[in-house]
Amino acid sequence: MNMHPRALEHATSTLDHVIPNESELTAGARIVPGRSYGFFTDTTVCIGCKACEVACKEWNNLPADNLGLTGQSFDNTGALSANTWRHVAFVEKSGSHGLRDGLDQKFQSGWLMMSDVCKHCHNAPCLEACPTGALFKTEFDTVVVQQDICNGCGYCVPACPFGVVDVSTVDGKAHKCTLCYDRLKGGLEPACAKSCPTDSIQFGELSDLQVRAAERVEHLHGIGVESAYLYGTPDAPGATGGLGHLNAFFLLTDRPEVYNLPAAPTRPANRVAPSLATGLATVAALALASAFLFAPSPEDRRGGRR
Amino acid sequence: MTTTISPDAAAATQDGPEDAPRIPRRATAPPSVHGRPNRAGWTGPTYYGRSQLKASPFENPVVGGYIFLAGLSGSAAVIAALADLRQGAAAAALVRRGRYLALVAPILGAPLLIYDLHTPKRFYNMLRVAKHTSPMSIGTWILMGFTGAAGLTAAAQAGTDLWPRLRGLNGLARAAQVPTALTGLGLSTYTASLLSATSTPLWAAAPRSLAMRFGASSMASAASALALTEPDPDHRRALEGTAAAALAVELAGAAIAHATYRRTGVEGALKGKAGRVEHIGATLLGTALPLGILAASLLTRRGLPRPVTALAAVATLAGTAALRVSIMAAGDRSAEDPDVSFRFSQPENLPER
Ligand code: SF4
Ligand code: SF4
Repeated sequence: MNMHPRALEHATSTLDHVIPNESELTAGARIVPGRSYGFFTDTTVCIGCKACEVACKEWNNLPADNLGLTGQSFDNTGALSANTWRHVAFVEKSGSHGLRDGLDQKFQSGWLMMSDVCKHCHNAPCLEACPTGALFKTEFDTVVVQQDICNGCGYCVPACPFGVVDVSTVDGKAHKCTLCYDRLKGGLEPACAKSCPTDSIQFGELSDLQVRAAERVEHLHGIGVESAYLYGTPDAPGATGGLGHLNAFFLLTDRPEVYNLPAAPTRPANRVAPSLATGLATVAALALASAFLFAPSPEDRRGGRR
Repeated sequence: MTTTISPDAAAATQDGPEDAPRIPRRATAPPSVHGRPNRAGWTGPTYYGRSQLKASPFENPVVGGYIFLAGLSGSAAVIAALADLRQGAAAAALVRRGRYLALVAPILGAPLLIYDLHTPKRFYNMLRVAKHTSPMSIGTWILMGFTGAAGLTAAAQAGTDLWPRLRGLNGLARAAQVPTALTGLGLSTYTASLLSATSTPLWAAAPRSLAMRFGASSMASAASALALTEPDPDHRRALEGTAAAALAVELAGAAIAHATYRRTGVEGALKGKAGRVEHIGATLLGTALPLGILAASLLTRRGLPRPVTALAAVATLAGTAALRVSIMAAGDRSAEDPDVSFRFSQPENLPER
């Protein structure tokens, strides 16, 4: 049997302690502070099992959001929220656009599924907006809310171009995916990626993931899936308008809007300077006009208290 | 861009001769959207009629109220300082009222901001960082500086009012009014960049013209508030002139903003109630009407009767408040409406590099 050499070191059951750097076994990535980590979500192999949603809720102790049915395919979660940090989107399309033509019923091959998550943006708008410094970049190049700092101002919510972060009505703090900061510190792969049965969610060092993803797109193009493209890698859709790149990026096969993603998001902080400068110039010019209107009249110059 | 999205991918989803009901796009209103009708904008596919964005969790009347008070305070401080520098003791009564009016942001506005936090007891965490990428952080520090300076100016003013013989106090007020006015400039307008530096389409679409409108309407509101209580006709004329100039700039800003909204496709957010308040309340009754009255008053030699110009001042103040609250509400709507949010996030709206 082919076994990972690291696995051989732990051939006997050692349940009394955590395997050091377990992530090397499960994700093939050693977790070292100071390097960039992220997710590559390959939607072409997602089977919509929601194991990631469940694993995330389990590990992070998150309550359920919605116990009803939405009537929107198998998606009863709806959207990312303060309590839902992974969300599997289900799109039922008719027509297979040439994919597996003649092999399957047309509309059976028209499924699109995508596990959505916080993108851990390089120039993260939520972080740049946060006035308390609660949102910060970790040593793993991920974006996390410090729960003991956040005062629930809610400014990060409209700042996020992907509608990810949300303020909880229960505790009045902002919450979102932490890319399992606590697990990374212990050398564990994030819960969602570890639970993903098809490796649709891959965790690893960002540079590795980007190479792997580019190869996957090439492979898909080679076997006839010409619509495959990356969302969130440098210069690709999703990483536009000064965002740099997204540490959690995606392989998609349809327009971003189909998956509820913006085609060309922008970095809000780039609008601070033009807006402040124009505003100050306006008020200063009006102040000048006012100063002119308040010109002292001859009799004013004579009288007065002083 | 190295990767392109096939433009007919969306069209391709519509084919398939025999099968499958189409995705019920926008047919079902998702829970967060309050059953809004369709309107022109993004016409491509969406995910069950949802927007990709979340609307701000701000309470619009509260935050809008703060923006109003901040502009009123900041600009009142600016006008008071200018009147004092230009006319000295001749404008003493006006200057006194301006210095006291400047206290509304520190006294009433700051509590509104704290009230709007979802964990208000941690408000002081705003003071642990200063970030140039966050207008909320910039604004916190502007408000802190303004509070200190305006408080000192007003305290010194109160001192001179009580003990007119203490000459040093007057000097202190005159010195402290300079930093008050400088931070007042920022307080009058930073709130526009607070809104623009988000991903909310309506706020992000027109950062410059929104700042123009907010800044100008702040000046107009402060000049109007001071003119309402000004007995001296010459000073009133100067204040009304300031208000008229500010209203003209605000109107120009509104025209530019609306052209930008049309170009970037976020106009749909202004089609509802908030939009009506913005068009009729803020722009027509709150800007154009008082501008007309004040212009007529300034062009006649003795000015229009006092009640008429007072009406203009009240309309300006109400319009300024309406502008703040309607822009906040329409912004939230633009974030929740996929027709607007996806239309805005198309590559053609990317800033040029
Ligand atoms: S996706 Fe949103 S919440 Fe996540 S890092 Fe980017 S801006 Fe922040
Ligand atoms: S809600 Fe919390 S995390 Fe979000 S911007 Fe405010 S302080 Fe920062």
